[in-house]
Amino acid sequence: MVSAMTAPPAGIPVTGTAAGPVCDADLVERSLEEPEAFAALFDRYSAMLYRYVSRRIGPEPAEDLVGDTFLTAFSKRHRYDLAHRDARPWLFGIATKLIARHHRGEATRYRALRRSPVDGPGEELAERVAEDVTAFAARPLLAEALAGLPRRDRDVLLLIAWGDLSYEEVAQALRIPVGTVRSRLNRARRKVRAVLGDTNPMHEEE
Amino acid sequence: MDDLELLRGLGRELEHEPPGTLARQRRRLLEAPDGRRATPGRSGRLRRPGGPAGWSLIGAVAMVTAALVLIPGVVLRGAGKPVLGGAKHLAFGTGKTLNVLLVGSDSRGGGAARSDTLVLVHLPADRKNVRAVSIPRDTLVRVPSCKADGGRVVPARVAPVNSAFALGVACTHRTVESVAGVEVDTSVVVDFTGFAKIVDVLGGVELTIPRAVSDPPSGLSLRPGRQRLDGRQALAYARVRHGLGDGSDLARIERQQKLMSALLKEAREQRLRDPARYAKFLAMSARSVSTYPRLDVGALEAVARGMEKTGADAVRFSTVPVKPAPQDPNRVALDGAAAERLFAQFRK
Repeated sequence: MVSAMTAPPAGIPVTGTAAGPVCDADLVERSLEEPEAFAALFDRYSAMLYRYVSRRIGPEPAEDLVGDTFLTAFSKRHRYDLAHRDARPWLFGIATKLIARHHRGEATRYRALRRSPVDGPGEELAERVAEDVTAFAARPLLAEALAGLPRRDRDVLLLIAWGDLSYEEVAQALRIPVGTVRSRLNRARRKVRAVLGDTNPMHEEE
Repeated sequence: MDDLELLRGLGRELEHEPPGTLARQRRRLLEAPDGRRATPGRSGRLRRPGGPAGWSLIGAVAMVTAALVLIPGVVLRGAGKPVLGGAKHLAFGTGKTLNVLLVGSDSRGGGAARSDTLVLVHLPADRKNVRAVSIPRDTLVRVPSCKADGGRVVPARVAPVNSAFALGVACTHRTVESVAGVEVDTSVVVDFTGFAKIVDVLGGVELTIPRAVSDPPSGLSLRPGRQRLDGRQALAYARVRHGLGDGSDLARIERQQKLMSALLKEAREQRLRDPARYAKFLAMSARSVSTYPRLDVGALEAVARGMEKTGADAVRFSTVPVKPAPQDPNRVALDGAAAERLFAQFRK
């Protein structure tokens, strides 16, 4: 009896996002017959996409953009490659294209950051870990670097740094070769480091 | 520091949480020409037996954490809500066995509140070895007849256990009592949306992360070592499934229990260290928790005092045994004999 209490909770398979019993590709496939199945993808990824998009273009336009991303995906679901179990790169790719329409807005946003901090550490400064303080100090520089990057390089850099996609996933999202992902990322990071004042030539990516 | 790390820091500062109005975008999707037939509820058909149970377990741990942290919080808020003396005299201090039903409600996305997590907690007389059993939310059970808002009586029926909550926590309370054959002393509803906020009000929670964590689905990215997690990170860390330990449920439970100890410690320390912040924490907690039957302050205080003796690692978790339901293989039902053996231990 006691063992029933202490036994590991059997019969509880991992569930949820990409690797769950229902993978994204299954949902997309199912939605061809039952369109409502697509709503499950929204439930999985809308919050994640919103957070990413809000970083790039701010909270207000992010809401519609996330909606547009799913509407676009929904209308193109017939063309989804079912071999990709994880739909995140696909969705991030669509969102990236839509963000491009806000290009001017995005750059303006970063430029504004060079001058006025979002919300300073203020009195909580002491509680912050050292890294956060460094990040805070570096923010105007980072914002300047981001504002100055060509859009293609910025897309790659931010999909990796903020979207947490792998090189392969970025390649899939933007439909470019992995080698191109690497070269764009290296170029973008070199510029960021240069703005931050790091001129170490050994500081190269792979 | 690495330029990518600095960028991630900037990203976190710029990030906004999805607003409730994001649900409008979901409706846009469902109303799209090709998706006219779509209704939100039907996505539930995608579930398979055991599928949602993973969340149930994670929820169970988060819930008990929340309850252990919040119950004393509500109590110490002091006077406020009117008292329910009532017919039922409850002995909440130590010395008596107590069964508490934790109902995790999750109203994210602006939809109706659902009881996403149900955990029956057994507090033995000495409060030392607390047992927590979670009931998967879509387990098919016989829901007794309950009164809906406005007095309409909904007849007894076989339905997923979480559907009872639509008729109020009283209905959930009675459903679990009748299904388990256990007397439940009180039900505590914890609103999950508040959980992350509560951690934030505490000023975060300090944890040692053994290895770097990167979980793209939740956006969680942590470096190894001792650090302070904010509410969102703490919740994501408790929920994350892969890329950590051996990926097993056991590893996850261990992680969640560490988080739970840390939170308990944090709350207790905060009380002494920063009374102003602690007051904020109490106010926030009070908004996230409600009880049924409504408990008077004295009773809650007694529970809280009793809980002080409960070490965070003295809570044992399990899930009630289930099997595919005979009526519907896409659902689960209680596994009769095994479930009965489990619930027998909850009887006094």
